[in-house]
Amino acid sequence: MDVKKPIANPLIVLREEFDDWAILFDPDTGNAFGLNPTGVFIWKLLDGRHNPDDIVNRLREEADNVPEDAGEHARRFIASLEQQGLVGYEIEQGPGAGTGVRG
Amino acid sequence: MRTPKKVDIDITNRCNLRCRYCYHFESAGDADGDGDLPAEEWLRFFGELNRCAVTEVTLAGGEPFLRGDLREIIRGVVENRMRFAILTNGTLITDEMAAFLASTKRCNYVQVSIDGSVPESHDAMRGRGSFARALQGLQALRRNGVRAAVRVTIHRKNVHDLEGIARFLLEDIGLGSFGTNSAGAMGLCRKNAEMVQLTVEDRILAMETLLRLSKQYNGRIQAMAGPLAEARTWLDMEDARLEGRPPMPDRGALTGCGCYRSSLSVRADGVITPCTMLSQIELGRINRDDLATLWREHGLLNALRERGHIPLSRFPFCEGCDYVPYCTGNCPGLSYTLAGEVNHPSPDACLRKFLAEGGRLPDRALLC
Repeated sequence: MDVKKPIANPLIVLREEFDDWAILFDPDTGNAFGLNPTGVFIWKLLDGRHNPDDIVNRLREEADNVPEDAGEHARRFIASLEQQGLVGYEIEQGPGAGTGVRG
Repeated sequence: MRTPKKVDIDITNRCNLRCRYCYHFESAGDADGDGDLPAEEWLRFFGELNRCAVTEVTLAGGEPFLRGDLREIIRGVVENRMRFAILTNGTLITDEMAAFLASTKRCNYVQVSIDGSVPESHDAMRGRGSFARALQGLQALRRNGVRAAVRVTIHRKNVHDLEGIARFLLEDIGLGSFGTNSAGAMGLCRKNAEMVQLTVEDRILAMETLLRLSKQYNGRIQAMAGPLAEARTWLDMEDARLEGRPPMPDRGALTGCGCYRSSLSVRADGVITPCTMLSQIELGRINRDDLATLWREHGLLNALRERGHIPLSRFPFCEGCDYVPYCTGNCPGLSYTLAGEVNHPSPDACLRKFLAEGGRLPDRALLC
């Protein structure tokens, strides 16, 4: 079971459009990534408080006909975001050292 | 779009030059109220742009590098998750400033105006000494790794120097490309039209020369407007007419330019407008009016977005014109300054009018 709780890189801009699709914009590189409505839903839950299973459970609460393998899709999607530096994870840095974010 | 993607901002109304064809001065955009807005106003506005997910601002003026607090303003852009571009005459750019711009890693480009291959053709319209200083600024940008985009504005004093300009910029300086435009009938250009604006003969020469040079330099000369863009568009329209092609998609109506579907502009006095070319249309004010609401609900802005549904056949100006099914009516800003109405085709970019005044199209063989 996934225990890591991904966090969206706060630098990344989410530009939502009227059709519920969106663009993720990385101002440091100028790169933009298209998100479908499910991707947008997931992105908004990348807050360091939800692991992928939590996110898929929330998705099942909100949407009908969520496929059986949605969890696997969500994990792959989050991994691809991580690879592109759009998502990181909060890590413990030892007593008194606070926390940091690893991308 | 729920919010604008890009915002063009005149961060100052001051300029160290008075180029004879500047579209800004003596236009509605020439508005500074009580002088430049303080940086704090812009920084507060950038916070709103951040919340609206705006991804890019273009800083212009006036001359942006005249602002002593430009670094503070740019840091505000960066802190609010945006990238930026700067439009400048280039004369005030130092190595130190160029290094700062590079250090932000957010600069899309700095556009420098270079209008000649020699001081005479550039300085004729921009003032003595401005060519050398603009080149110094351009080289400072290049030394420091800032992407420098050069824009050549074509006018009566440099239209015979286009080959020299292309050789100078692409071979001697080694730019990858440069852009071209021509002095448009706005601002100071209207006042100095006799001295500045291309005649029909000049336009013919500019179109032929630029098409030839663009081919010679493998497309490294670009244009969104002006003679090179017109040559390409008009040749296409003429081919369509001769072949009796069906109407082109998004043509035959006032579809020219849709910048207000993705961007907004702000004058130096903080007034929000649809475009720098439509700076007489006041939509609101920064830090007073909610930008997202204004973007979605302002009647004037939504009316502009609807102008693409107005058929050209409605206008007496277009009556009997065979090019109507292939024409966009072009820039609404020029329509306003020349015809007095935004919802009107621009007379300046009318192919039929150009031909009626003795113009001719370039040889198709010159196309890339």
